[in-house]
Amino acid sequence: MIEEPYRWVEAIANRREYIEAQLASGSPIAALGYHDGILFLTLGQTRQKIFEIYDRIAMGAIGHPGDIERLRMGAIELASTEGFTRSATDVSLRRLVHYSLSPVMKSAFEQVYGPPYLARMLFAEVGERPEEDLFLRVEYDGEIATSGATFAQARQDFAVLSGTQQSRELMESFLKTEHGADASLEAALKSALDAWSIGHMSLQTTDAKELPERAAVSKYLQEQLAHTGIEAGILERDKSRAIRYRSLSDKELRPLISD
Amino acid sequence: MEPSLVAFDQNFSGAADDFPALLRRKGLLAPAAIVNSQGGTPHQKSWQPTEATTILAFKFSGGVLVAGDRRATAGNTVVYDRADKVLEIDRHSIMAIAGVPATAWEMARVLEHSFQYFRRTQLQEMSVDGKVRALSKLLRDNFGFVMQGVGVVVPIFATYDSHPKPEARLYFYDAMGAQFEATDYAATGSGSPAVRGILYYENNWRAKPLQKLSEDEAVSIALRALDTAAESDTSTGGVDRGGKIYPLIKIVSREGITTLPESKIAAVFKETVA
Repeated sequence: MIEEPYRWVEAIANRREYIEAQLASGSPIAALGYHDGILFLTLGQTRQKIFEIYDRIAMGAIGHPGDIERLRMGAIELASTEGFTRSATDVSLRRLVHYSLSPVMKSAFEQVYGPPYLARMLFAEVGERPEEDLFLRVEYDGEIATSGATFAQARQDFAVLSGTQQSRELMESFLKTEHGADASLEAALKSALDAWSIGHMSLQTTDAKELPERAAVSKYLQEQLAHTGIEAGILERDKSRAIRYRSLSDKELRPLISD
Repeated sequence: MEPSLVAFDQNFSGAADDFPALLRRKGLLAPAAIVNSQGGTPHQKSWQPTEATTILAFKFSGGVLVAGDRRATAGNTVVYDRADKVLEIDRHSIMAIAGVPATAWEMARVLEHSFQYFRRTQLQEMSVDGKVRALSKLLRDNFGFVMQGVGVVVPIFATYDSHPKPEARLYFYDAMGAQFEATDYAATGSGSPAVRGILYYENNWRAKPLQKLSEDEAVSIALRALDTAAESDTSTGGVDRGGKIYPLIKIVSREGITTLPESKIAAVFKETVA
């Protein structure tokens, strides 16, 4: 029956609805370009969600751990073999996502007898200057969103990922006004934590169209910080070393946000 | 239902597949050559372990010092006088090579990617034992080529181990891949007999053993040893006084790897060797 075209469309729509429901509880991840690099941040996780992919590339993901793992391995394999056969500078996030990950995810999604990837991913590649940073979000159906200037938007120095579209849009509208590429790590950290809180608050309700009050955000953040850990990683802009990724522990970060 | 035509390989257990295996799966690394025992091994008799160079490493108060001369030779000809035979593999590991450069540099490249691939996929740093073993495996895989008279590599591997006890570790290998941990020093290459003699003497009968030396004293001994090796071994460049080409010296310590600037080496050379 799925051979009939309109049944296929229906099956795809059902599948989309199912995946969206599965991803809806995913805790937000924010990636912010700042003066000395790119910061990835999320909160309160039981399993790791931010990963190093290659020298200048990192990834954050929500979804099923098994699917995230397969995609992560695929990305690392591709980047590593490219870096080995050519050079580390030839490994590019744009190519990795556009030519390899996105087609794979799209075909898995549309082959309705096979399992789709239950994952939504956020990639970033650190550039020599903040303007050269690249952020790409890849959806379970292979759809790609970029931080670069498009017909609909100006270039952004950040990208976010969340369980629902509403949550993501609120985080984006917050960061659009609060964050700039010349921020320090401390400033980026604070914006990222606030953005995370806004995104997470939105996941708890269904009708949050407006940004919440400042006081409510910081109260919510304090409550969360009291009993959950921060997971973060940075891609450093420092050209003196080849490998730019470094994970930041909760212990390192707490003093930076104490005031 | 047709199997999915998904483009990239899906490896469900990253631990089972190391980086060289990944390269082989993708056809990017030649499988180890197999010596055919029936068909005769034409070059077997002619194989002589001549690794034309001198590499030395020893532990001193500040970690491990690794030094190598800069000469690359092909038979009697000097091909290159600025060869880099002391290679950084990661933030705390150095591989210094004696042998055929093409194979050695390829090995260093595979090794460098192996460690990073492991860290990225497994989300933890490879242990020192694992790293030492990885190099051993590459050497053994290469032994087919060695038996055919091409591609012999005899490296030294120096690293800093943070677990369980923070200390510098030093290993040397034979061409088949056996690894030996050196307590104080190691040397490899055609000029190494002379160097080994000097280091043994310095370690046992001088005022203080190698492990107690300061950085300047260690650099001085490394330069003297390489100069001595070059005296009788044509394949070792030693110090080119006219061309001002100095050996490459790197130090592995707890903080990572430091490459000594040429000016510093030149100063020590002028003061204590020349």
